[in-house]
Amino acid sequence: MMQNHPILTLDENAGALPESSRQACALRDFFLARDAGEMAAAAARIEAAGGGPAPAELRSPEGMRRAEYAFNRLFVGPMALQAPPFASVYLDPEPLVMGGTTLTVREVYHALGLASTLEGVLPDDHIGLELDCAATMRAGLERVRDPLLSELHAWFVAEHMAAWVPSFVRRVEASPKETSGPADPVVDYCVGQLVHWLVAEVAAINEERGVPQSPETDDGDEAPSPVKPVVQHFAPRDTAAESGDHTL
Amino acid sequence: MTKPMANGRPSPLESCLSRRRFLQGMVAAGALTVVPGGLLRPTPAAAGIVYEGGYDVFRNACPRNCYDTCSIKTFVKDGVIQFIEGAPESTFTRGGTCVKGYAYTRRPYSPDRIKYPMVQDGRGSGNWKRVSWDDAMDRIAKKLLEMEDKDGTLLGLAMTKYSGNFGITNYGVEGMMTSLGYTTRFTGTPCWPAGIDAQNYDLGSMWCNDPEDLADSRYIILWGANPAWNSVHSVKYLYEARDRGAKIVCIDPVLTQTAVKADEYWQVKASTDGALALGMARHILDKGLVDEDWVKDNSVGYDEFADYLRSHVTVEWAADECGIPAEHITRVAEEFAQAKPATIWIGYGMQRHVNGGAGVRAVDALVAMTGNVGKVGGGARYGHLQTWGFNYHALLQKHPEGKKGVPGKVEVKGDFHFTGDESQVSYSDRILNINKTAQELLDAQNPPVRMLWVSCKNPFSQDFDRNKMERAFNKLETVVVVDQFFNQTAAMADIVLPVTTLFEEWTVNASYWHYWLSVNEQAIKPMYETKSNIEIAAALSKKMNELSPGSCTFPTEIDTKEWMAMEFNKGIHDMFGISSWEDLKDGPRKAKLASSASWHDLKFSTPSGKYEFKSELAASHGHKALPEYLPPRAPTAKLRLLTPHTKFAIHSQFNNLDWMHEYNPEPFVYLNPATAGERGIKDGDTVRVFNDLGEEKLRCKLTDNVPADTILMYEAWFRNLSYNCQNLVDDTSADMGAYKTGQPGVAIHDQFADVARA
Repeated sequence: MMQNHPILTLDENAGALPESSRQACALRDFFLARDAGEMAAAAARIEAAGGGPAPAELRSPEGMRRAEYAFNRLFVGPMALQAPPFASVYLDPEPLVMGGTTLTVREVYHALGLASTLEGVLPDDHIGLELDCAATMRAGLERVRDPLLSELHAWFVAEHMAAWVPSFVRRVEASPKETSGPADPVVDYCVGQLVHWLVAEVAAINEERGVPQSPETDDGDEAPSPVKPVVQHFAPRDTAAESGDHTL
Repeated sequence: MTKPMANGRPSPLESCLSRRRFLQGMVAAGALTVVPGGLLRPTPAAAGIVYEGGYDVFRNACPRNCYDTCSIKTFVKDGVIQFIEGAPESTFTRGGTCVKGYAYTRRPYSPDRIKYPMVQDGRGSGNWKRVSWDDAMDRIAKKLLEMEDKDGTLLGLAMTKYSGNFGITNYGVEGMMTSLGYTTRFTGTPCWPAGIDAQNYDLGSMWCNDPEDLADSRYIILWGANPAWNSVHSVKYLYEARDRGAKIVCIDPVLTQTAVKADEYWQVKASTDGALALGMARHILDKGLVDEDWVKDNSVGYDEFADYLRSHVTVEWAADECGIPAEHITRVAEEFAQAKPATIWIGYGMQRHVNGGAGVRAVDALVAMTGNVGKVGGGARYGHLQTWGFNYHALLQKHPEGKKGVPGKVEVKGDFHFTGDESQVSYSDRILNINKTAQELLDAQNPPVRMLWVSCKNPFSQDFDRNKMERAFNKLETVVVVDQFFNQTAAMADIVLPVTTLFEEWTVNASYWHYWLSVNEQAIKPMYETKSNIEIAAALSKKMNELSPGSCTFPTEIDTKEWMAMEFNKGIHDMFGISSWEDLKDGPRKAKLASSASWHDLKFSTPSGKYEFKSELAASHGHKALPEYLPPRAPTAKLRLLTPHTKFAIHSQFNNLDWMHEYNPEPFVYLNPATAGERGIKDGDTVRVFNDLGEEKLRCKLTDNVPADTILMYEAWFRNLSYNCQNLVDDTSADMGAYKTGQPGVAIHDQFADVARA
């Protein structure tokens, strides 16, 4: 970002964050990274926060150089983006930024008493900002089981993010590759970890809310409304299938 | 996005948001803390962020290279542009923009925008790294200092800039060059130079009637102009004239959307317009329909012109040359000469030929000999720069002390170069021809052009001979491209810098066709890390002065609003009847004109002060003194190739936007069925258009809107497609342009190629 944003650690002890928040923060830092160094640092923290083993390219300058090129082609530019990292591109009637979705997401931040330091400059529904918000809400719920916060968190992650992240991931997977074969290993790894995080977080939300796996069974007036099973949004992914720790 | 409803209840989101104060309380109470390292921060306790009520309305103006220069009202809510309208205060714009204008909301908010300064590892590789502004400026500044060290001058730095953004403060790009020292400038214009010189020889300047008085005309010839596509706001005046009984004739090699709206359409052979005009003139002369009084009182050289017509021109010859039957020529010539007032709109297309300037002079003569110059509803309408008397504060920067350049004084000329040069100078800029950009880059020596700075321009789309351009770029050591979208020039850059859209900067805009003036307010924050051209200049100056104090005179901190205000002066205030620029916040203003007619006082700016059928000035510049016919360019291949403007773009702008893309996703070549039949080409076939320069493969459409000897493909840049008509267009000069714009024009429509099934 053009503006320097000194890191303001409001939480005295980052280690005390729940694993889900730590993962989301690491993922956030990856998608907001400005260069290979920031990408590598974030990917290493994704790995440390319980992600599977990262590919060897993460430790190789050449591997990270290629990862940076791929990352910019996908998410940054200057060419037309292969996979724009903004929710509105996928959820609005027309694929622009700063649309209705962006403003709804901004409203969520404001409802929490938060605002993006780049409001009006970087769309509020950038995947990195949304991960920041999800991490904050999850950390808050660890402290206080506030039903309103819980409800908003459930909507934000399991309804909103789950509605667009799968399409975003599919755009990453469908992007023309520099060479034939898999996407850039480091980017592929981190995008895979985003999927893992989202699937796990949605599952946790459903469990917390006591929602049965099948949404059809719930139609009671007072029961918590079910969230859609996020898994159905995802196309099969090889890496996910291999890992076997969640169903897709 | 729909806010989901679950079982008829308000969605969790709506429910939560309606109770937002409780959530905000959680932050205040410390229950909710932001996680480390993020960009989300607690909102300031008292303020919060409140967006309430209706729209914030801003004044904007379309800064593109277009007749209409629309005055725009921009409606902003929550800091986001919701929609735009044409400003209702302008009787020209009259509350509407064109299709391209309505798509403006797509520009700042396209996910495809260039967002950050970026550096390419290997030109054309597609391998890009994001860098900070500071890093980008550091790379550029160090390279400049290294170049100056090596060469002793900064002539190795060249700027190419033209009409991508006509906002007046954008002349700060030129100002930035001056503030660095003596540099290399590409001057001239591919657009309209031959016609500008022609009108200067005939009338003393280029000055057209107010287009709003087209409605007062009794007879209108649209000569190589296509306002139905390129000046939609002018069309209402054409219809109004027709409602009042005027006849409209359209002359064009292509059956355009304007042509089909006309009362009569002539499919003239390209580049023979001069012959047609002279044939009409001869007939008017023979029929005794010349306005003898006007000619006697207000012109010089008419008798010699009449002698030339009698000795060299016949209607039959003209008919043979231009392909319009003699009986049509004589009929329309008589109608035109007898209708008062009658006018001709001279389109820029008809002068993009090796004989284009001479052709415009012949058309001017036709209007003058019938006494239609200086009349409301009359005139040889081409363009004007009457309302451009700004201070050019951004442009006028000082050279740093002690800088060297080309020894002596070289005058900088240009269609939009309005300012006098320093009178006594020891050194000058190096001037190269923008219409031969590729060749000039290849030829430049001592020093070679080492760094090319591109702004408000897309050379790979707009300059000629694309293959040669690639060779020329290979010679460059550093290419800096300032743009909003990634085009074929950006692909060949080492460094791209993201520039603001019209909504993200302050500036002021005038038109070269109508007489309205608009302020352009900043309506939204600049997205991502975009900067305006003058902010980029300030950032570069800051870095230059850090590394080498005194090496750049451009201010290091600027405010685009202040710089907009500094463009205004008493002349502008008086012309538009305003006391300050702030009056324009209430809407655009029209110049207070003594008459809607140019040359209404019949005092011409020529050496004689009269309309000059015979121009000694033209003769002294190596042209014919009279508007004599010049033959067209000899064909270099079987078919003529035309590459005019497309409907949904201005040059390479707009066509990449999603709305345009939906209607116009791919380029086509248009062929006459006869031409296609001879080559076994069917509608929809993929064909190869080729000549000595290169080739282009694309699908074809068959239509008799184009003549049988012609290939038509529109100029445009298509998102993610390699299509480029400049693979086939060479840099042959037009006959005129050097006098007023510094360089001859370019014969864009004197191009030839052949076509075959791919």
